[in-house]
Amino acid sequence: MAKTDLQGTLDLLVLKTLDQNGALHGYGIVLHIQGASNDMLRVEEGSLYPALHRMEQSGWISAEWAMTETNRRAKYYKLTTLGRRQLEIAQESFDQLVRGVRAVLRYA
Amino acid sequence: MAVFRRLANLFRRSRIDREIVDELQSHIDLRIDANLAAGMSQEEARRDALLRFGNPTATRERVASADAALAAESVWSDVRYGWRQLLKSPGFAITAVLTLTIGIGANTAMFSSMDAVVLHPLAVPQLDRVVTVDEEQDGGYHQVTLANYEDWRRQSRSFEALAAYSDANMSLTGAGDAVHVNVALTSANFFSVMRTQALIGRAFAESECQPGRDGEAVLSYGFWQRRFGGDPAVQGRKIVLDQRTYTVVGVLPKTMQYPSVDDLYLPLAPTPQQLADRGTRSYVAVGRLRDGITVQQAQAEMRNIAKRLAKAYPATNTGWSVHVESLLAGINGPYTPLYYRLIVGATLFVLLVVCANLANLQFARGIARRPEIAMRSALGASRWRIVRQLLTENILLALAGAVGGLGFGALYLHVMLTSMPPVVARYMAGWANTSLNGRVMAFSLLIALGAGVASGFAPALESLHVNLVEQLKFGSRATSGLGRTHRLRSILAVAQIALAVALVVGAALMAKGMNAMLHTADAYKPNKVLLFSVSLPTARYDTPQKQAAWYADSLEKLRALPGVTHAEVTTALPSSDSGWVRDCAIENRPVVPGKFQSALQLAVSDGYFAAMSIPIVAGRGFGQSDALGTQPAAIVSRRFVEQHFPGENPLGHRIRMGGQAGDHEPWLTIVGVAEDINYELWEETRHPAVYLDAAQMPPAWAMYAVRTYGDPLALAAPARKALAGLDPALPLDTVENWQTYMHEMLTGLMYAAGMLAFDALIALLLAAIGIFAVMANVVGERTREIGVRLAMGARKEDVLGMILRRASWLTGAGVCIGLLLAYGLAHGVANLLRGVRPDDPIVFTVVTVTIAVAALGSSWIPAHRASRIDPMEALRSE
Repeated sequence: MAKTDLQGTLDLLVLKTLDQNGALHGYGIVLHIQGASNDMLRVEEGSLYPALHRMEQSGWISAEWAMTETNRRAKYYKLTTLGRRQLEIAQESFDQLVRGVRAVLRYA
Repeated sequence: MAVFRRLANLFRRSRIDREIVDELQSHIDLRIDANLAAGMSQEEARRDALLRFGNPTATRERVASADAALAAESVWSDVRYGWRQLLKSPGFAITAVLTLTIGIGANTAMFSSMDAVVLHPLAVPQLDRVVTVDEEQDGGYHQVTLANYEDWRRQSRSFEALAAYSDANMSLTGAGDAVHVNVALTSANFFSVMRTQALIGRAFAESECQPGRDGEAVLSYGFWQRRFGGDPAVQGRKIVLDQRTYTVVGVLPKTMQYPSVDDLYLPLAPTPQQLADRGTRSYVAVGRLRDGITVQQAQAEMRNIAKRLAKAYPATNTGWSVHVESLLAGINGPYTPLYYRLIVGATLFVLLVVCANLANLQFARGIARRPEIAMRSALGASRWRIVRQLLTENILLALAGAVGGLGFGALYLHVMLTSMPPVVARYMAGWANTSLNGRVMAFSLLIALGAGVASGFAPALESLHVNLVEQLKFGSRATSGLGRTHRLRSILAVAQIALAVALVVGAALMAKGMNAMLHTADAYKPNKVLLFSVSLPTARYDTPQKQAAWYADSLEKLRALPGVTHAEVTTALPSSDSGWVRDCAIENRPVVPGKFQSALQLAVSDGYFAAMSIPIVAGRGFGQSDALGTQPAAIVSRRFVEQHFPGENPLGHRIRMGGQAGDHEPWLTIVGVAEDINYELWEETRHPAVYLDAAQMPPAWAMYAVRTYGDPLALAAPARKALAGLDPALPLDTVENWQTYMHEMLTGLMYAAGMLAFDALIALLLAAIGIFAVMANVVGERTREIGVRLAMGARKEDVLGMILRRASWLTGAGVCIGLLLAYGLAHGVANLLRGVRPDDPIVFTVVTVTIAVAALGSSWIPAHRASRIDPMEALRSE
């Protein structure tokens, strides 16, 4: 259960990041998550790309090669409508998870 | 959608791969840029970026595996890699493929045979809905009467159709030589119960099943091939059966050989008298269940109907119930499926031994491949990836074995098919259909995959336990951490020995049982007896006088031939499961309805008792005084007296055979008592015997037994000539030596014993190789230790003893487990082992000793080599 939850959490973070930032490349996603969480979350770069690829195969995100500000070629990802729907589902299930865990921890 | 995207990706594999590389590289580049901007040096920036990213190759592989298309690519690369590795160790590969070929091939052949005979003997749609309906009395199943059958048809709701047939033996003329054929007289709906379409022409219609209108015949496929050469224009041909002309209207397909012994089908056209007959039980009823009705439901309904009939017709039906059984279950009798299960089980055991052997070899090979595995691990291969690659290699071996196995299996089947005497093969409905069909191939593939995975799994997992640093430093000479491997290999060797023991014990028991059965008739010296049977056609031998005259004349002629000591006729041979079991009534002893007494009835000629060396213990034997017209005499067996006249003198009492339906049978006077002999071979119940004099009650069919001084077969031609002199149109059937006849009856058992012996031999061989390998391994690994011991003063004998002790320990463990296994299995199949105790101490002891000797013998060579180790060499070789 733990493994899929973590994977699910990574998916959620990536989808949310893309939702808020339009189009981003992988490195940019890593930076955003690191910044938005005040350095509390550091994405394992080795697991990011497999996850991105998987999400692209499932049709939640779409990809496109473009040039960065520093004139480097990078693959930019964008959220699709399907992905937006998936984001809502993932957010809901994460909330549920958190509430559940909290309830258990508070149980006297 | 996602699926299409993945499929599309299959065509753009290399482009995707390149994209992934580019993407990962660009990530690293971006971080390098950021680091440079933050003030790090070129070198530091790069190092930091790479460190943070992790292993790019591993990541690349992980990304690739998220892509289904590239995953397929990686499986293919596994296969290519595995292929190259196998080519590098040809010795191992060839040995592995050879043993797999034998293991998988034997299994393929056996499954193919089992599939044809037991699982799908008839290509009848929904065969599981077809049932046979027998009359049951006292737990014994009997054929049915027409009147009961008609009532069942009328009253039962469980059947879509209920058909009946009876067997007859007729002589065919008008198409080649005169010959006897087996005929099935079937009702018209028989073919719709079987849902069989004729291959050529048609089956009968309802209207043709009336007396007088029943001149149509349908041929079975086998008969059509044998007798008419597969002539496609056979429809419309006229044949003569028992002097009556029939027209051939159709031929049945090859896959519908039921009843398997019958050559032809004729319409069952009963007269109203026959339809009302409730006493003659000589029909077989088959039916197709209605949709949704189960066998149990039909059984329950039929039981109720039987009860009603018993009330309505108490004289004929009291005590009779009905038994409904699936056709498939009954078609081959009780023993054939059991034999098959035994053999298939044993052959699977052999495959297990092969797998254990292969696993052992893989373990040994794994040790040499440690540096390779270490390298791959260090480069970032995941554990799963390595295991997958090793398994792929193993599956490749197994598939190669499967291909070879098909060839080996085909050969095996060919030998099996050609060595089965056709007389026996006719009784097995599906025998002729044995082939390597789709199901068999699927089975072969399945067990190949299973074998590949089973034999590769443990070594693959074991190979993951590499100490990376040590391996890369010392190469393949590091010997630490091998304890586990060694234990596993020892376990495998023990397992192989255990399986081999079980198989050898099973084979030995079976061989012993078979031998005992082959010799059951030895008391009668069967190799000196010529047998043949004669069937008197009712047209020309229509009076008892003509029949009795025939027997008298023929016996006289035969006795006059040179070298003949006895010539007798009988309707049942000892130890042959033949003979007619009939109800028996004793005068002045009313039979209670529901209680039964029966006996085995046979008609014999006067000298029969002398020919078979059966002593007459009371009264007299048959003689000249017993002829047609004199008082009908009977001789009963001792068992009969014990059952019905305990403590009394039975002589003079009268008995009548046939029970209820025997109203027209004559009363027989008991004139003598003969010693008991067994007429049964497989059957458990030993019936008491009642002998009639063939001169008084000439049978329509009889077996001639001619005892000679010399070779009985040399007498065959003279006998034929002598009898042809009396009646040239009378064919003699199955002329052979009694010994051969016994062999034919036991063919099934001989087959089973033969296959089992073959399996046991292979298992034994592989087990010996297995233990040799383990011991050789032990010696190889402990070379230095042995060198040290020898240098410190140990004698050669001590080293020898050390190795042999280890070997004995393994062998002992294997033998103990194997004996337990064998004991359990032998009890499980005790009903197949006739004439032999399942816990026969001699067999068990002999097998134990043999295997112990074999195992220790094969450990001798490594042990001997160990004792000859030069301590200086051993210590120096590091």
